[in-house]
Amino acid sequence: MKFCVCIKQVPDVQASVQTGRMVLNAYDASAVEEALVINEGTDDPVDLVLIGSASATETIRKALAMGASEATHLVAEGEGLDSHAVAALLAAHFEGHAYDVILTGKQSQDTDAGLAGSMLAERLGLPYATNAVGLRAEGDTLVVTRQGDAGQEILALKTPCLVTCSNDMNNPRIPALKGIMAAKRKQIDTRSITPPGPRTRVTTTLEPPGREPGVKLEGEAADMVAELVRRLDAEANVL
Amino acid sequence: MSSILCLLSVQDGRIKRSSLEAMSHANTLARAEGWSLEAVLLGSKAADLAETAGRHGADRVLVIKDPVFDSHLNAPLLAGLEAVVKAASPRLVVAASTESVKDVLGALAVRCDAAVLPDVASFSVQGERIVCERPVMAAKKLARTESSHPLVFVSVRSGSYEVKEAQGAGTVVDVPFQFDAATLGLTLREIVKSAGDTVDLSEARVVVAAGRGVRDASGKALVDELASITGAAIGASRAVVETGLFPATAQIGQTGKVVSPDLYFAVGISGAVQHTAGMANSRVIVAINKDPDAPIFDLATYGLVGDCFTILPLLNAELKKVMASR
Repeated sequence: MKFCVCIKQVPDVQASVQTGRMVLNAYDASAVEEALVINEGTDDPVDLVLIGSASATETIRKALAMGASEATHLVAEGEGLDSHAVAALLAAHFEGHAYDVILTGKQSQDTDAGLAGSMLAERLGLPYATNAVGLRAEGDTLVVTRQGDAGQEILALKTPCLVTCSNDMNNPRIPALKGIMAAKRKQIDTRSITPPGPRTRVTTTLEPPGREPGVKLEGEAADMVAELVRRLDAEANVL
Repeated sequence: MSSILCLLSVQDGRIKRSSLEAMSHANTLARAEGWSLEAVLLGSKAADLAETAGRHGADRVLVIKDPVFDSHLNAPLLAGLEAVVKAASPRLVVAASTESVKDVLGALAVRCDAAVLPDVASFSVQGERIVCERPVMAAKKLARTESSHPLVFVSVRSGSYEVKEAQGAGTVVDVPFQFDAATLGLTLREIVKSAGDTVDLSEARVVVAAGRGVRDASGKALVDELASITGAAIGASRAVVETGLFPATAQIGQTGKVVSPDLYFAVGISGAVQHTAGMANSRVIVAINKDPDAPIFDLATYGLVGDCFTILPLLNAELKKVMASR
C-alpha cells in the first residue's frame, strides 16, 4: 500500500527538564513504524509530509533514517498555526497525490489537541479512524483496531483512507547508522507556504495550579497504614 | 436568542457523568448570558433519557431515535451531529472529552465550519469570545486559548465541573435523520470488551491505579481486592498495560484516560509525566512506592514509602474493618 505519514516536530515534553530539544512527535513515530512494517518487503513507498519551521529538517531526516522513502517539507515560520490551518494546508498538499493510506499521530505531544487528523480526512472526503492501536492490510482494505471508550473497536476501512495512530501500536525503531547515511541522500521537497488565518489563538501560557503539599509517611508498614486510614477517614473524609 | 448545545454521551443505557458535568457548567453560562440550553441525545433509547437532560437544565432535547448510534461508528455519528447542529444553530457546542467525541470533533468542525477548543479544563463566554484553559506540554503548562469564530465547539475533560441539577423544560424535539450505510467507507466488525471493566474509569469516584511495582498476578490480586473494598475502578500506567497484566482500557495518562476522582490510589507508580497528565487533578492522591524519590510523591496528599506487596495486605485488612463498621 502507498503510505504517506504526516509528521510534526515538537518539544521533548517527556524530558524532566525542558532544554528546548526538539523531537519527532512520539505518536507520529509510531505511525511511521507501522507503515514501514506493513510495507516491508514491497516496493511501495512510505512518504512523509511535515509542516514546520526550516529547522524541522532534522526531524524529517530522522524519520527518513527509520526507512521512509521521501519527504515534503512545507515551511511555515512562526507561531499561530492551529489544527484548522494545518488541516487546510495538508489537504492542499494531498490534492496532487494519490496515496492508499494517510497516517498521522493521534495528537501532538505539545498541544494534545488531536483534531488535525479527522479534519484532514473530512476535507479530503476519506473514511477514517482515530486512536488506532493496531493496523493490518487485507487486500485493498485496512483493518484498524481502535481504542474506544468501552473497549477495542475493530473496523474495516476501504482505501484510500486516513488513520490516526496511538503510540500503543508499536515501539518505533531507532535508526541504524546505515539508515542515517541513506537518509542523507533521500529527497526532501522543500516549499514555502502561507498558512490561512487560525480560528483559535493562545493568549497566555500559565503554570498549572499547584497542589497543596502532602504528608509523607515513613516507618513500620502497619503504623503507616493505620495512620493513612485514620487520615483518609477523619481528615480527607473520602471513605 | 443564542444557545448552547450539549452533546450527551450515553454508555450502558445512562448519560455519562462527564457529559452532565459539562452540561451543568454550560447551564450556568447560558443562564448568565440569557441564552437557551439545548441537549442532544442519539440512539434507540434517546427519548427515555430526555427527562435526565431536562433535570440538568435543558430547555429542549434534540433526539434522533436511531439504533445506528447504539455502538460507536464515526460516519453515522458525524451525519447525525451535523443534522442536529444545523437544526439548533447554537453559538457554542459543548461535549465531554470522551474517545467517541474525540473521534468526530475535528471532522464535525470542518463540516459545520466551526472553531474547536479541545480537551479544556475550564471555559467561559467573554463577550464575543469563547475563552478556555487547556493543559498542554503533558499538562506541565496551561494554555489560555480563545476563539471569536461564530460557532465554537468545546470538549471538556472529565472532573472539571460538578454535576448540578437545574430544572429545564426538557421539551423533546425529534430531528429528521436518514443515513445511507451503503455510502460508508468503513464498517464495524466487532467490539472487544476487556474482562473486569466493572466500574467505568472516567466516571469513578475512587480509582486504584497500578504501576510497574505491581509486578505480577499476585500483585494484581491485591490491587483488585483494594478496588473491590473501596468500590473503585481499576486503572494502570502504560508500563504495566504493556506487560499485559492490565487491559488497555485501564490506561491512565496522556495517551489513555483522564480521571479526577475524589480518591486516587497510585500503587507502585513512579509518576512519569505521561501518567500524571491523566490524574493530577484527583482530589486526594495516595501514593504507595518503595522509592522515596519517586516523583509521584510530589503530587501525593498521602505518600507511603514501602513495597506495595507489604503495604496492600495490611491496608486491605484495615479498610475492610472500617468499611464493615459503616
